[in-house]
Amino acid sequence: MNIFFLIIGMGMCVLVFLCLYRVTFGPNVLNRAAGLSAVGTKTLIILLFMGVIYDRVEMFVDISMVYALLNFLGTLVLAKYIKQSGEVECQL
Amino acid sequence: MIKESQDVIVKTRARLLTPFIVIYALYVVMHGHHSPGGGFQGGVILAASFVLLAISYGLDKIRQRLSEKAASLLSSLGVFIYAGIGLLCLLLGGKYLDYGSLSKLLSVVPAKARSLGILGVEIGVALAVMAVMCMIVFTIFSSGEEDKESGGGE
Repeated sequence: MNIFFLIIGMGMCVLVFLCLYRVTFGPNVLNRAAGLSAVGTKTLIILLFMGVIYDRVEMFVDISMVYALLNFLGTLVLAKYIKQSGEVECQL
Repeated sequence: MIKESQDVIVKTRARLLTPFIVIYALYVVMHGHHSPGGGFQGGVILAASFVLLAISYGLDKIRQRLSEKAASLLSSLGVFIYAGIGLLCLLLGGKYLDYGSLSKLLSVVPAKARSLGILGVEIGVALAVMAVMCMIVFTIFSSGEEDKESGGGE
């Protein structure tokens, strides 16, 4: 079963690099923000897989919950900043 | 200055999420000596709940809940709890922050006194970290607007 989670985690790492491509070469600042948020979510999943592989999942769940909270907060602050800086036109 | 958000999704999610964040922060503080976490991390998560409310409901409303004066008072109180427990150990005949000597005061075995002592110290650290983080973030959030106002007046 550990091999299964290891392979899934490696696939997640490849997907992180795909999101990183969007963050680096995104044509718009909104694409970059969405890419950053997706990278954070995938990091959370990779952390949980590491917990399963190392057999300490009760510890890694704590860390990944904090990571999810901070990722959400960071995306929200970034969106607020983008809206107030007026770099892109917002419909609100 | 961060204004109140007009988006109902952000506001509702912040309102529903904040109690769970606070409970999780208390869990991180209380369970710090068995799992990752402790005073500093719990304090940061407590401050994160304030930041989430400040983003979604505007800085003014949150300033009414946690004013600058209350924040500085809370940070001083946290340092006081930390240093006070250390000095209490010193007065009871142990070394500084040697929680084992608290067993005379709490009338429990020294191992239990150590567990309770580290819990008290972590509560103090969490209070101080929460207050200082809130002060830093609120200052960063509000300073740009003050600069703009003073710049416009010249």
